[in-house]
Amino acid sequence: MAAGGAGGNSGKTYSFKVVLLGEGCVGKTSLVLRYCENKFNDKHITTLQASFLTKKLNITGKRVNLAIWDTAGQERFHALGPIYYRDSNGAILVYDITDEDSFQKVKNWVKELRKMLGNEICLCIVGNKVDLDKDRHVSVEEAESYSESVGAKHYHTSAKLNKGIEELFLDLCKRMMETAQAEERLKGNGASQSASSRRGVQIVDDEPQATPAGGCCSSG
Amino acid sequence: MSQRTERRGIHVDQSDLLCKKGCGFYGYTAWQGLCSKCWREEYQRVRQQQIQDDWALAAKLQREEEAAYASSQGAQSQPQAQSTPPHPGHVSLGPFSKFEEKKTNEKTRKVTTVKKFFSPSSRTASKKEAQEGKSPSPSISRQASFDTDQVSKDFVDFLKNLQKPGREIHKQSRAFIVTMSSKKDLGADELSECVQDFYQHLADRLMGHFKGSSDSVEQVMDQVEKYIMTRLYKSVFCPETSDDEKNDLATQKRIRALHWVTIEMLCVSFDEEIPEVSDNVVNAITDIIEMDSKRVPRDKLSCITRCSKHIFSAIRITKNEPASADDFLPALIHIVLKANPPRLQSNIQYITRFCNPSRLMSGEDGYYFTNLCCAVAFIEKLDAQSLNLSPEEFERYMSGQASPRFSTSDGDLRQAGSSPDVTATNPALAQLNHNLKLLSGLSSKQESLMEAAQSLQADLIAWPETVQREVNGIVEKYPLEILSRTVSAIDANNMENDNLPPPLTPQVFAG
Repeated sequence: MAAGGAGGNSGKTYSFKVVLLGEGCVGKTSLVLRYCENKFNDKHITTLQASFLTKKLNITGKRVNLAIWDTAGQERFHALGPIYYRDSNGAILVYDITDEDSFQKVKNWVKELRKMLGNEICLCIVGNKVDLDKDRHVSVEEAESYSESVGAKHYHTSAKLNKGIEELFLDLCKRMMETAQAEERLKGNGASQSASSRRGVQIVDDEPQATPAGGCCSSG
Repeated sequence: MSQRTERRGIHVDQSDLLCKKGCGFYGYTAWQGLCSKCWREEYQRVRQQQIQDDWALAAKLQREEEAAYASSQGAQSQPQAQSTPPHPGHVSLGPFSKFEEKKTNEKTRKVTTVKKFFSPSSRTASKKEAQEGKSPSPSISRQASFDTDQVSKDFVDFLKNLQKPGREIHKQSRAFIVTMSSKKDLGADELSECVQDFYQHLADRLMGHFKGSSDSVEQVMDQVEKYIMTRLYKSVFCPETSDDEKNDLATQKRIRALHWVTIEMLCVSFDEEIPEVSDNVVNAITDIIEMDSKRVPRDKLSCITRCSKHIFSAIRITKNEPASADDFLPALIHIVLKANPPRLQSNIQYITRFCNPSRLMSGEDGYYFTNLCCAVAFIEKLDAQSLNLSPEEFERYMSGQASPRFSTSDGDLRQAGSSPDVTATNPALAQLNHNLKLLSGLSSKQESLMEAAQSLQADLIAWPETVQREVNGIVEKYPLEILSRTVSAIDANNMENDNLPPPLTPQVFAG
């Protein structure tokens, strides 16, 4: 939340960090490449990598810098999740509608994210590959009712047909802006600001920052 | 302008402050301008001289005493007889043991003197020694102090463009460094807190000054970070109060123990037989190792970023599609295992504690840094399951009884069967083969070039002959006929022409 808050209170630029979670072959990379480069399985993709991408947006006159962090989806890296999603404003959890397991994996992520980050983080659950609807193994009703039950929004996308992706990111940005604005209002006075925007730096951030800013440097 | 002269004054002071022996440490006037180490050496030499004199004296006394002892056997009035009473049978041992005692005595005396010298507080003195002992070598620290001067100069030059706020920033930064130097005893987390508070405080003020232009603020903050952290590096990198050093060693040992992990086990999508890929791998390893030599957190971060970029190109060449995190993280783990970067934990901690937070949390550099943290965490927790091995296999590899690369004679048959040939596993050999192929191609090309040159030479020699022959043929075909020539006046044909105007005659005009 810190990054968004710090950018937000100065003026009009918000910067958000969004993590992309999901099992190996659910199409995370295709999704993000379609969004940032508008290309799918293209040999002419210029970018060297698809694991860290940025996008500049303009939403209702406010500038938004979006940083999209891809994460390694293999099971053996599951335990590293918290290092990735620390301080993120939003999370996009991708599953493959033809793969029941990948949806189970999403459920695990949601549980973990809520436990670690509480309600500060905006969650999006994304069923990718809707072009393969005839092989669907995860029912629409199940996915949508589950998403609602955990306070996440559900989207259907197809990176191949470029369906639903633009909406997904736009919606997420709007929600993150609302959260950031609510937090700003909540803070009101600037006293606690510096402390909270520093939280992300520490590896262990369970101890609250009691010392006021500038307390230990002489310049005050 | 005033800043300039002010700084120059400091510079002169600093070189004056250095130890006169040129070892790179700071000297102290009370030690005749030497640093504590050199002073101690010097002092010891003087003392040694004195000890020798003393010993000569002692030996002389000893001889006298022996003479006295020989004359009166019963009298045991030696001043230092408590340790080994000299046996009458072994008179020759007497002076030796004496000397030993003398030496230990001398030593204790010396220590107390030195301690006294280091007063008022011997505690701080010993701390200082420990710190100096830690710095790698005098030449390195000397180099570092030159760097520091260069950085200070750059910082001042940069701030000059900002005029009044620049002066303010400079003043604050210097004051901060001074306060920090008095806080050396604090724990690593407190030190980090101080630096981060300072960043925050300064960034807030700058934000006000630049009216929210975060780019300018970032630029200034980068310079401030560079200046401050170059100065503070020695005292806050891997501080004694933290476990960093212990963790460094543990990680290093762990990576060494995992030397047998192959790219197949990690599922890295590198095809190291492609020369560009192996070049990128080598560059990535170099970059991650280079991280330790930088002092500014941001410079360390950019080493990680460069390393990551090389990994991405290697993946891109191998797979011919942009690398996703699924490819990148295993590759980074592979690179870290291969490189075993020095003081990895210390560097990660240092960056975490003292880097500008905005960079670490949202930027591209932050992403790669996070991946490095993940790689290290993975390596620490790595077990049989994470490499898709059976626990027994993992144990065997860890204990060195078997190796997945070269199956040992007592290794099982499965291993022997699946062991790939040497060229496939060893990228250096693959590179060598590739180079050999290139060289043989080159030499065959050169041969054909030589042949062509020789035929050209032959042609050139033959050419004049053919020309000669042709000319002769033509001369024979068309023999030279010499016709009789009629000589005539140039204007003979015009003789009859009356139309020509009369030739001009010069006329004289009167006047």
